[in-house]
Amino acid sequence: MYSQQQYGPPPSFQQPSYGSYPSYYQPPPPPPVPVYQPDPVTFRRDYSNQLAELKVNSRPIIQNLSMIAQEFARFSEIVAQCLESHIRRVPQWMKLPAFYLLDAISKNVYEPYARNFAAFVVPLFLETYSQVDQSTRSKMEEMLLTWRTGSPAGKELFGVPAQMAIERGVWGDGASSSPVGRAPSAGLPAINNRPAQTNSFYSGSGQITKTQVLTELEFTLNQKERALQGNLYDTTLQTHISVLHQLRKLVEAGVSQEELQQILTQLRSLVRSVAAPTPTPAPPPPPPAVAPSVSWPPAQQPSYPPQQPTFPPAPAPTYPSFPTYDNVKTEPPPSVLPSASAAASGSSAQNSILSLLSTIKKVVGENGTPLGAGASSGEDVKLEPPPPDLERESSRSYRDAILMHDVKLSSTDIIRKRPDVVEFLYDRLAAQCKQCGIRFPDTVFGKKRMEDHLDMHFKQNRKANQNIGRGHSRSWFVGVEDWVHDVSVDVKGKGREAGARPMNAKATAAAEVAKRDADLRAQYVVVPRGEEANPVACPICKEQFKSEFLDDEEEWVWRNAVLKDERVYHATCHAEAATGLALRLRSELAANLRSHSNTPEAASMGSVAAARAGGVSTPPPSGLKISDALRSVSLSPSPESKLVGTKRKVDDTDHSVSDEAEGTPRLKKMALTAADSMPQ
Amino acid sequence: MASEGASIESKEWTLDPETEYRFELDPGTSLAVKLIRGHAEVFGAELAANKPYLFGSECKAAIFTWRGYVTGQPSTEYVSEETPMAAYANLHIAFEQMRVRALRDLRGSPVPEYEREKSSDPPRVLLLGPENSGKTTVCKLLINYAVRAGQGWSPLLINTDPAEGGWAAPGALSAAPVHTPLPTCSPGNPLGAAATSAPTALSSNALLPLAYWYGHAESKRNPLLMERIIRNLGENVNDKYQVDLQGRTAGLIVDTPSSFASGPGSSDERQRLIKACVDAFKINVILVVGHEKLNVEMQRTYASRLTVVKIPKSGGVVELDHLYRERVHNYQLHTYMYGQIIPPPPGISSASLGGETLSDLVLSPSSTIINFDDLSIFRIGAETMAPSSALPIGAARAVSETQAVSIDPAQPGSGLLNAVLAVLAPPVNTDESERYDEEILDLPISGFIIVTNLDIPHRKMTILAPNQGSVVGRTAVIGSFEWQE
Repeated sequence: MYSQQQYGPPPSFQQPSYGSYPSYYQPPPPPPVPVYQPDPVTFRRDYSNQLAELKVNSRPIIQNLSMIAQEFARFSEIVAQCLESHIRRVPQWMKLPAFYLLDAISKNVYEPYARNFAAFVVPLFLETYSQVDQSTRSKMEEMLLTWRTGSPAGKELFGVPAQMAIERGVWGDGASSSPVGRAPSAGLPAINNRPAQTNSFYSGSGQITKTQVLTELEFTLNQKERALQGNLYDTTLQTHISVLHQLRKLVEAGVSQEELQQILTQLRSLVRSVAAPTPTPAPPPPPPAVAPSVSWPPAQQPSYPPQQPTFPPAPAPTYPSFPTYDNVKTEPPPSVLPSASAAASGSSAQNSILSLLSTIKKVVGENGTPLGAGASSGEDVKLEPPPPDLERESSRSYRDAILMHDVKLSSTDIIRKRPDVVEFLYDRLAAQCKQCGIRFPDTVFGKKRMEDHLDMHFKQNRKANQNIGRGHSRSWFVGVEDWVHDVSVDVKGKGREAGARPMNAKATAAAEVAKRDADLRAQYVVVPRGEEANPVACPICKEQFKSEFLDDEEEWVWRNAVLKDERVYHATCHAEAATGLALRLRSELAANLRSHSNTPEAASMGSVAAARAGGVSTPPPSGLKISDALRSVSLSPSPESKLVGTKRKVDDTDHSVSDEAEGTPRLKKMALTAADSMPQ
Repeated sequence: MASEGASIESKEWTLDPETEYRFELDPGTSLAVKLIRGHAEVFGAELAANKPYLFGSECKAAIFTWRGYVTGQPSTEYVSEETPMAAYANLHIAFEQMRVRALRDLRGSPVPEYEREKSSDPPRVLLLGPENSGKTTVCKLLINYAVRAGQGWSPLLINTDPAEGGWAAPGALSAAPVHTPLPTCSPGNPLGAAATSAPTALSSNALLPLAYWYGHAESKRNPLLMERIIRNLGENVNDKYQVDLQGRTAGLIVDTPSSFASGPGSSDERQRLIKACVDAFKINVILVVGHEKLNVEMQRTYASRLTVVKIPKSGGVVELDHLYRERVHNYQLHTYMYGQIIPPPPGISSASLGGETLSDLVLSPSSTIINFDDLSIFRIGAETMAPSSALPIGAARAVSETQAVSIDPAQPGSGLLNAVLAVLAPPVNTDESERYDEEILDLPISGFIIVTNLDIPHRKMTILAPNQGSVVGRTAVIGSFEWQE
């Protein structure tokens, strides 16, 4: 679930649904336009320098480093070497962030890094694991769990052998008393040769420790709770969480080895079945410079089957008799829920959650414990702590800090004091955007803003790439109304999206145009008596008027018509001719033809131009066909292919007009208007 | 720290804490600076590490470091250890205190006992100082520090120096909310740039100014008009604050022309313009940059109602001559039309301008031919005008200072050729009965156009406009600025 979600270049970044596992990684924005083309030596130096800054778990630094890794995939070996030596060298409190970086690069970039890292990840992980303190260990365990399904295909990130070797080293397999002391690489070939054992390894034929189960439980629970944050009304998730809470209580209370194993099996199948149905984005093609992987078969094929429930799901009627569950259960049974995520997680998830339930039932039944804690665990579920107002929180702490300083606004005082402005401008803002140097507080709120900011860069880069070759120009300034109402709150902190405001101005302009157009269209001319049957055409566009009966007037009228100098024109045609818009449109169209001559649009442009020329010179019969061709172009659904795409105003006009019900071929009209007005 | 110079060689500088590297570029040269280690900032805007930053168009700037850090071959470069940055930093902290108190007040958060008597007014600062005292730089610095505080402040930067131009062209007075640090790379856009159709990473390169057209470089040319514009700006700022209560807490900073501080004009006129600013923007702090006499004068006039603080002037301030200012006006108009183009020094393949990719800053204006009748052109006041006080006693003007005089392009000597015209926004009230005579003085600017050719026999003129938008039916006002490519 999490791994697929964060992998690859998704259109918009989502908060990965991890538990307490720090949420620093999202797919990095696409690499910025490379500002330098280093040689390997420079790159190694630069990268290790930047790596040296990774002292704390700072998402921006990790993100930046993994962006660089992505950008310079051709130096993947250098990155791998830098990272390995960095992890080995730094003091133990700096190791975890470096592992997070390794994790981020492997998952987000994957090729070729995961392969490179696989070469050393096992000894490195175990060595580090043996050195760090308990809390770091549990963080590493959490990370290790995500590696099980960390590859783009949802498989082991570094391959089955590496995964198993690490897990064996961390949790032991019951045989080895000193996991760290073992040489994991020595054990690898053997494991590889006995695929049957992989299964038993995972399902834990040996000793399963309570800690291991608790870790996995905790991890799954966190993951679920994260997901729930994103979707508060997902009742399936709520049920899952309450079940997991109960399970945790049970395990903490102490259960038999056999039950531990059952729980673990269920847990894993739950995680897997939830992960499986999520559509997996296609992995990006590996950089061409990288030779195809040879030593990588384990990850490509599942070398152990997904865990299936080892006992049949408990029949539904049995569980209402289970009192604790009723307390916990705040929602109807999951199987009848029409919730979206229930559909997404698939029936296997339903099965496994049912199995989990039955596991609990079994355990409770055997122990005969009434589970007094059940009620309170139910409350746990309901009492979701309200998300603290992070923004206020952060501004409150900033206020306290800034008011600590005793600075008076007086000519003497401001010279005398030694300010600690560095604290406010740098130290409190540990997260820095590497592209533009803007800093954010290293808090949850600050991270959120930094994410938005990086998203903005991503969008800008993408937009800039799409716009290459297209001219830009200075916009008009906004009017007073727009300026006054351009409120700062929603653009807080982030560089706002360029064009967000101009868009607004654009929108008003479009609205104006639309309104004017509607006004014009509302005009009508009463059809003269006896003329109903005679076709009358607009002298400008040569289209015939359609007469319709107006109930209010009790008359036959021509819509969108205006009477000028005893001739009936389309109101829109006449207005255009009057404002000279047609002339401008025409010259811009011509300009576009020139400037876009080597874009894909060129072909259609050419045909339009030809058709247009035809429309002007040919008599009506053939004009019919041409107008069809024109219509298909002018109503083309892709705004990108708009002929007048670069001209905002004209574009808007074109939009509103092409919306018109009759679908009058616009270009033809335009061309003819131009032709009419040209001679003078 | 290192940078790569205008000539191919590059030079590495190591800066000690609280020192700055100053440089002045010659015409036609550019400089790229790359931060290799540490932290550094240009007038308060922090540099990102390992990104070459470009400077050009005779830029004179300084790269400062709080903790040691930097870099070319500019015509003048040196490292200075004496900077007034500590004082500026104290100012920043004092203003931040005012901002957080204002925000606390707005949110109704509890106020501790010892804070009770403190005002909850956000900082609204007026900067005064003589020529070449670094007023604009101080404004920029204080604004940049405020937006960098990480509190989401977006203070208003108001430029009342018509010679400066700011985001608009010289001759305009303008105000814009600032959301991200203002980069420094060229005097062509000293305060960031107004919005374009290009995607820009920094909102400082897509500012939305509200600008009014004054049309002349010197404030003494038409003080009446100047005062009116200042009051117009003030009214709109207050309207904005009514709408955006939270934005109000970030305060505002007003940059002023040096003529407010001293100069040949009569003292009354200066005082009146300063008072106009104080009233219009509800100023509560006046900063006087290195001018003892002015400080005393301000203390005497305003100390009872607001805080007047004298602040030190930076030793890095460069004396600018008249010709340089002329060239800067040309850079500014060129930048307005064509965007920011600084050829990187040889050897620098890709660099950024204050964090922005170069290609996005190149703009294409549009040259079109319009009929004389398509545009109504006015001049405010007479073309040459002596101050009222200089008129003979009892004499009245033929044309008042704020009267709009229509200009006929067909008349020889209209002064239109190469003139910079401000295209005004269409009046809000389309209802004729709501219109008034001097409305033209109260309309903000939509943009600027240049008359590049006059074809009197055919009654047509060629104009250079920033974009393809039509100016037909609009009103334009001429000033005393001219520009030729």
